[in-house]
Amino acid sequence: MQLVCVSGHTLLALLFLVAAYIDLCDAASVFDVYRAIQYDLRGIPMGSRRASLNHHASSGLSVPGSDITRSVVILPIAKVNITLLNEYLQGKRILGGLLLLLPEKGHGDDNKDEDADENLQVERDLENWIIKNNVPYPVYFVYETPSLKALLDEVIANDLAGKPATATTGGFKLVVSGPEPRKIPPPSLVNIQAWLPGLRSEGDSSVVQTIAIVAWYDTFGAAPGIPAGTDSNGSGAVALLEIARLFSRLYANPKTRGRYNLLFGLTAGGPYDYEGTSKWLKSFDQRLRESIDYAICLNSLGSISGEKLWLHVSKPPENAYIRQIHEGLSEVATELGLTVEVKHKKINISSSRVTWEHEQFSRQRITAATLSELETPSELLENAGSIVDTRYLFYRNFVANITQVILSTKLVAESLARYIYDQQDKHITVFADGSNLAVSRPYVQGWLNLLSRTPRMAPFLSRNSPIIAAFHKELADRIEDVKIQHETMDSSFTFYDSTKFVLSIFQVASVTFDLVVMLAFGSYLGLLFVIALVTTKGLDDLFRKPPSSRKIKGT
Amino acid sequence: MTLFHFFNCAALTFGPHAVYYKATPLSEYDTVGTCVKAALVYLGTTLIKLVLFATFLQASDNDDFHPSQEMLKALIGFLDVAGMYFALTQLTYRNISQNHKFQAIGLGWAFADSLLHRLAPLWVGAKGHEFTWDYLLQGIEANVNLVLTVSLAALGSLMWLRKSKPSALVPIIYTSAGILAAMPSISSYLHRGLKWDFSKVVGFEMSAAVAMALVTWRLFSACQRPQA
Repeated sequence: MQLVCVSGHTLLALLFLVAAYIDLCDAASVFDVYRAIQYDLRGIPMGSRRASLNHHASSGLSVPGSDITRSVVILPIAKVNITLLNEYLQGKRILGGLLLLLPEKGHGDDNKDEDADENLQVERDLENWIIKNNVPYPVYFVYETPSLKALLDEVIANDLAGKPATATTGGFKLVVSGPEPRKIPPPSLVNIQAWLPGLRSEGDSSVVQTIAIVAWYDTFGAAPGIPAGTDSNGSGAVALLEIARLFSRLYANPKTRGRYNLLFGLTAGGPYDYEGTSKWLKSFDQRLRESIDYAICLNSLGSISGEKLWLHVSKPPENAYIRQIHEGLSEVATELGLTVEVKHKKINISSSRVTWEHEQFSRQRITAATLSELETPSELLENAGSIVDTRYLFYRNFVANITQVILSTKLVAESLARYIYDQQDKHITVFADGSNLAVSRPYVQGWLNLLSRTPRMAPFLSRNSPIIAAFHKELADRIEDVKIQHETMDSSFTFYDSTKFVLSIFQVASVTFDLVVMLAFGSYLGLLFVIALVTTKGLDDLFRKPPSSRKIKGT
Repeated sequence: MTLFHFFNCAALTFGPHAVYYKATPLSEYDTVGTCVKAALVYLGTTLIKLVLFATFLQASDNDDFHPSQEMLKALIGFLDVAGMYFALTQLTYRNISQNHKFQAIGLGWAFADSLLHRLAPLWVGAKGHEFTWDYLLQGIEANVNLVLTVSLAALGSLMWLRKSKPSALVPIIYTSAGILAAMPSISSYLHRGLKWDFSKVVGFEMSAAVAMALVTWRLFSACQRPQA
């Protein structure tokens, strides 16, 4: 039994040797991750083109000693060096993958204001960079949790100590497995419209005029799985819902029903040159189209800077109709402490780019204007619902922003009411605070909350999506005539699926470790063999040929 | 953690059995049959034990230590001894010496034990990405188990196959056999009752195996002297 003692010692020595290579570790961790968008614009591939991931972790874009093409760079979103990222892209240096950490929902806002503003800009730039470039490696977003943060700290410590994770040294390995992304069939744009018929006085055979109130509700952001666009254009959609609610109350009673029909439209396709609105308008019949007195489009009303709202028009400001709309709004605005300024932008018929929603109306020869906090039109796919919008502009100042949405809603509702009921210059507030027609803060807050938590990218919203059903029900509960219109998007965009995955993070031992272990066990077994042979048969047997197959009877 | 690791751990778990067979005179006397018979007896014993476990023990969700459950498990565990008795005394073998008989039976028993208890977790777990020490420790445990089983078989052969024993040593023989048979219960108590780390438990098992092996060796040679 001497061999037992020797084997015990050998084992102990083995353990020490092996322990030098890696520490005791925890089990694998699992996280939900959201892939960056992948789409083709007119056939040109854009966004992140790959989905599956199987590489070691790295903590930065330029860690010495680590091979960036075979590692996944984990970065908090505010610390991304976009110039370096862009350099790598232009120089065709392809990363193994990029994992961006978003501070926990609603949190991460306890950094100081200066930092926050910088971070805001970096994040915006990063989102734009992802959207506007063909990124040939996987890009994922993940919400930061304490365990993920601890993991990242460990990776950073390892990298700083000069021991980056690679196949030969072991470390953390990130694995995302799933099917390769495929094109989704042309998505449908879902428009929801509600119609409040106006009062037709007896004996009056003229057509009742219509006023249209429109807002687009979908988004286009860097990650389809992450809710975005609370301000652009969640605020507009919520304002529309509240205005619809208030007017449905007024119109319920024939005594307070106005002499105008009200047409509410929640349109999709906002980021794609307002394609949904265009299709919606084309579906109108001639009579309806001619009866529209004017249309007002709501676009981003939650982060008003300098108490100034812009009224964007395509007809010249001197036009009588435009003047009327503007004056109506200004009158109420002064009472609320806001200013409304007209901005004129001619439509370029030859270009297909539609920068404001009202332009779709103007192309159909309907007077229209867009009310927005934004002064200048955005580029294609910019300000169309960014993650930054939700996380910074809304979560940071949630209370303040709700107040602004309420103000904007009041502005539009009041000016509409005064126009409809012909109360201009008469100093009557229809939706006065404290009355039962006041703009409801809980209502606005609740809906804004919901929209901040719901991703709303049109290609990923199906006909049966809960949010569309929610919009429909909200309007249908109060208004009889509510219709849903499905249109197929025929624009130059093609989208790809696979937006949400599960990331597994393992701590793996290095290949060196395996080799060492193999050698150790091999020598252990060899040693055992020799010892057993020597102790039971004698030293000579080690060198003798193996015995013949003839069986030897034992004693 | 990859196939490589799996092969490493498998080598550690099953290698010693093969080495033991090849290196000692067991291979010369072609005692495979004995080993296989012992393995079958082990299989039968385990099946009976399983049925008894299922009938008498309550399934508990957590890993805590219930004294009554553990006593029951220990009692059922003594079936192992009965199985060993059966293998040693009742089955007929080709005429091989006592020495080799108990070694072969111990080897077959331990090999079957390792195969049943450790192959499946190894196959399922060691191939994954994540690295844990568990499978290496399990391999060490298999080694330790081999030593323990052979010791138990030695004591068993002393108890039941040898008629003349120095009477002073008889109680020691029975005590040692008892301790060896109770090893699984002791390990389980340490692991669950005292919440020892797996590596500590394996370390304890290793030292216990060494100690018991020494004791057994001494007893064996002591009993052998009259006949030598």
